[in-house]
Amino acid sequence: MIEGAWLWITFVLIALATTGPRGSFILLGARVRLPPVLQRALRYAPAAALAALVAPDLLLDGDTLDPANPKLAAALVVLLAATRSRNPWLPFIAGMAVLLVLRKGLGW
Amino acid sequence: MLARFPVSIAWPMNDSFKRGAREGFRLFLPMSVGLIPWALVTGVAMRSAGFSPVEAMGMNLIVFAGTAQIGTLPLIAAGAPLWLIVLTALVLNLRFVIFSAALAPAFEGQSWRRRLASSYLLVDGVFAVCSERILRSHDPHWRWGCFIAPSLWAWVLWQFFVLAGVLGAGSIPRDWSLEFMATIALMVMLVPMTQLRPMLVAALAGGLAAVALRGLPLKLGLIVGIVVGIAAGFAAEHLGVQRRRA
Repeated sequence: MIEGAWLWITFVLIALATTGPRGSFILLGARVRLPPVLQRALRYAPAAALAALVAPDLLLDGDTLDPANPKLAAALVVLLAATRSRNPWLPFIAGMAVLLVLRKGLGW
Repeated sequence: MLARFPVSIAWPMNDSFKRGAREGFRLFLPMSVGLIPWALVTGVAMRSAGFSPVEAMGMNLIVFAGTAQIGTLPLIAAGAPLWLIVLTALVLNLRFVIFSAALAPAFEGQSWRRRLASSYLLVDGVFAVCSERILRSHDPHWRWGCFIAPSLWAWVLWQFFVLAGVLGAGSIPRDWSLEFMATIALMVMLVPMTQLRPMLVAALAGGLAAVALRGLPLKLGLIVGIVVGIAAGFAAEHLGVQRRRA
């Protein structure tokens, strides 16, 4: 865990990193144009980044591959809830319920 | 061609600003309700990552970018190197370069201060439902109203419900695996993106590469995984175009 002053410095740097892309063309003006190839490549950045953050959490136990774990089971329920229902709360409620039942109820 | 009008820095409470503000608010209001679960989850996730309430609200006020906040939490909690945290936040918000490029013509003639404020306030939802109307208008007052009113509403709503999550997190038992809420949140953001085939390919490749490359030092597997995912999505798009031509 990053602590104290470094934590606040981290926040400020994250703020710069997130405001930068949002401000890029709004600040520079419409004269500057994004190359179309780059624009198309950038479309894939968020999906790739989200999956790269989520997958290790679901598939790894420490550093070893362990697909048979309660988190992955809960994640499948989350996927189902997010694709079948438009209720924004359901993925959170269903996912947490499955994880808690598996971990605390069944001791997995 | 967009006409250029001189625009004062002060809030122009003229009729066309008000009409724009009303229209933007009307467009965004139904969608803004969807921010509430996110905000609650973000508040809870920051507390379960080990932040004090002050640190959590500090991050929320300084950063104001839900995806990047939730995405960087595990890295901050694990004490990952600063450059990796910042780079991850940057990548998670890269989509806004495209939104920013699309919206830029609407900010022609606006003051630097307003552009800076807009850069901090821009959120996906407002872009999604308001940008088309904003870009169709030729009145800078109307455009500014239509952008800033829903954006400020999103900010207020977000801060309020994150605070509720931050304060509420304390009353939930520690061993309830609440950190998993952050993972669920990231998944729920990912799912609608993967409706398009190349986007799904990008996600699968990025996720699997990040798992396969977990042995790389400094959590570099994350960054390389993202690059692999972008390349795979791009390649899938090209293959798809070729197949349609054939």
